[in-house]
Amino acid sequence: MSKPRKSNKKTAIVLFSMAGGMIGLSFAAVPLYKLFCQVTGYGGTPKIIAAAPATPASQQSTREINVRFDANVNSKLAWRFAPERQKIRVRAGVPTQTHYLARNVSDQPSTGNATYNVTPFKAGEYFSKIECFCFTEQRLKAGEEAVMGVQFYVDPEIFTDPNTQDIKEITLSYTFFPAKNAGEEDKQMTRR
Amino acid sequence: MANETTVAETAHGADHGHHPSGWRRWLFSTNHKDIGSMYIVLSLIAAFVGGSFSVLIRMELAEPGIQFNLFWLDNEAAYLQFYNVLVTGHGFIMVFFVVMPALIGGFGNWFVPMMIGAPDMAFPRMNNISFWLLAASLVLLVIAAFTQGGPGTGWTVYPPLSNAEFHPGAAVDLGILSLHLAGASSVLGAVNFITTIFNMRAPGMLIHRMPLFVWAILVTAFLLLLAIPVLAGALTMLLTDRNFGTAFFDAAQGGDPVLWQQLFWFFGHPEVYIIIIPAFGIISQVISTFSKKPIFGYLGMAYAMVFIGFVGFVVWAHHLYTSGLDVDTRAYFVSATLVIAVPTGIKIFSWLATMWGGSIDFRTPMLFACGFIFLFVMGGVTGVALANAGMDIAFHDTYFVVAHFHYVMAIAAVFAMFSGFYYWIGKMSGRQYPRVLARIHFWLFFIGVNVVFFPQHFLGMAGMPRRIPDYPDAYAGWNYVSSIGSYITSASALLFFYIVWKTLRSGEKIAANQWGEGATTLEWTVESPAPFHTFEDTPDMTEK
Repeated sequence: MSKPRKSNKKTAIVLFSMAGGMIGLSFAAVPLYKLFCQVTGYGGTPKIIAAAPATPASQQSTREINVRFDANVNSKLAWRFAPERQKIRVRAGVPTQTHYLARNVSDQPSTGNATYNVTPFKAGEYFSKIECFCFTEQRLKAGEEAVMGVQFYVDPEIFTDPNTQDIKEITLSYTFFPAKNAGEEDKQMTRR
Repeated sequence: MANETTVAETAHGADHGHHPSGWRRWLFSTNHKDIGSMYIVLSLIAAFVGGSFSVLIRMELAEPGIQFNLFWLDNEAAYLQFYNVLVTGHGFIMVFFVVMPALIGGFGNWFVPMMIGAPDMAFPRMNNISFWLLAASLVLLVIAAFTQGGPGTGWTVYPPLSNAEFHPGAAVDLGILSLHLAGASSVLGAVNFITTIFNMRAPGMLIHRMPLFVWAILVTAFLLLLAIPVLAGALTMLLTDRNFGTAFFDAAQGGDPVLWQQLFWFFGHPEVYIIIIPAFGIISQVISTFSKKPIFGYLGMAYAMVFIGFVGFVVWAHHLYTSGLDVDTRAYFVSATLVIAVPTGIKIFSWLATMWGGSIDFRTPMLFACGFIFLFVMGGVTGVALANAGMDIAFHDTYFVVAHFHYVMAIAAVFAMFSGFYYWIGKMSGRQYPRVLARIHFWLFFIGVNVVFFPQHFLGMAGMPRRIPDYPDAYAGWNYVSSIGSYITSASALLFFYIVWKTLRSGEKIAANQWGEGATTLEWTVESPAPFHTFEDTPDMTEK
């Protein structure tokens, strides 16, 4: 019986390392999933780009699309938050600037962090953000109001992809949450 | 436990080596048969709890409105949370503590070594740890249910419902730890089974000559080995999200709750095959035995299970059709899911072809095997319907889905458990089950479960959502019928407990091979009950 015992040990080591490898893969799934969302626009994840590609005027699309703006605030953050304009009509391929207004209605300074996506989800692939207040944490003193800018760009290919040709309107949605670990910094801000 | 003592007494007589007796025999057991028996006892206890939960759920759903008098809780929020805990507990207990222990830990431990002519499992002490980890896990889950309102997350534990904001108490943490232990137990068991099957087969017991039940356990063990660690990883992330400020699934801090769904179902879909593939194995043995023919298309049957196991890992997103997958991704998951109908079709065909022209003996195990085929085909047909993303978006989270998976995997697996129990109880206990009562048990159970679940197709098609304790009056009729089915089923389950007691108490003694010429696997060559040690002298299978 001594001979098979040894090979049993080897088999078990191989099998346990397979199980260990799967644990590793499950954690590797976290960054991979993030990458997957950014590349494919899964769940309406917009693309982030440094600047709109310079398209010659001749190739620019003349078609327009409606973009709606949606604003939400988590109940733990005492802010008012609303888009300056509910809806604008933009030309695809042309970077567009718009604003949101946020006001801290509490008597404490607080820090918020906005999450975002677009609907329909399949539009995420063709919706790019150039600048956004949501890229960083936003701090507001007690009662302070701020104008928060967004610059975005709709890829004209949205009109040629058969999957997205039917889209007439894209909704860009934000939800402000209290930023993590913001409590400490906010206290320091009050002291200052 | 009645059968523990009986097995202990009978095995004692046939013992030819020193081994601990009394409670030490069980707590320190390294014997695959004793450990298998303990798994079956654990499964019976858990089945009583999980089954009672399902009856409570059906009692709540028997009539529209909230039946406040049911659980002696007059606070509405506590009552509704308790309903959620019942739904969650029913799912967890049935999956992890009833079906898996019985089919894999119980019958697997008992008969895999015997069928391949091995004296025991490859790692007998690890086998002991596997069992006791599972017992500890069950205790933790029960503690979780009674802690701060209990976990009301559903067995899928989706955040944000399962995060610290909506389940602030320790209940979900205890549930996660319980699942970690159950997972560790399963992985240890899987390593043990694979090593045993790969390294300890008798001479001549080639891979392509192993009984199909051994094949089934081999495929299942690989699924466990690859799927459970993903659940463990996801559960760890959830645990740190809840307690240590990470944000894997917290949208507020850049995480994504849908990532949980992806990871969970990457485990969860193979998990349903982990439940049903051992059932395939038992049904193959039973049908071959009672048709008195070798199984039709043996290699096709074996590799159909392997193929189901493989494809089972690449279809998980058919549980997430409503999560915003684009049309191409959905098209892929629809086709991959539909492909599974091919190997399962091969299996159904081969079972029928085995019976065809066979000298069929409708003893109780065979009745349950035929019941299994009926239920599995029923659920398979609705599965093909649900695999289509276009239809699933309408059926998602309705009672149609509940009816589908109970038919195809839950009740079908329970039928395989009963089939295996009646098939092997003679070998395990040395006693004959009461034949007439067993038939009554089958028919009551078969009618009962169909009355429970068939009307749920209608409810689901009419749009009744799952996991909600109340519903509009329009759904009242079929819900009432379904609840009556639940009472019939529970009467039948109580009859089964009586049959177990009666068999162990006063069943007549039986011969080594009680089934005659159809039973060709190695376990029927040793006396009944199987002696404490079998195949210490390895049988030679080379010329067979």
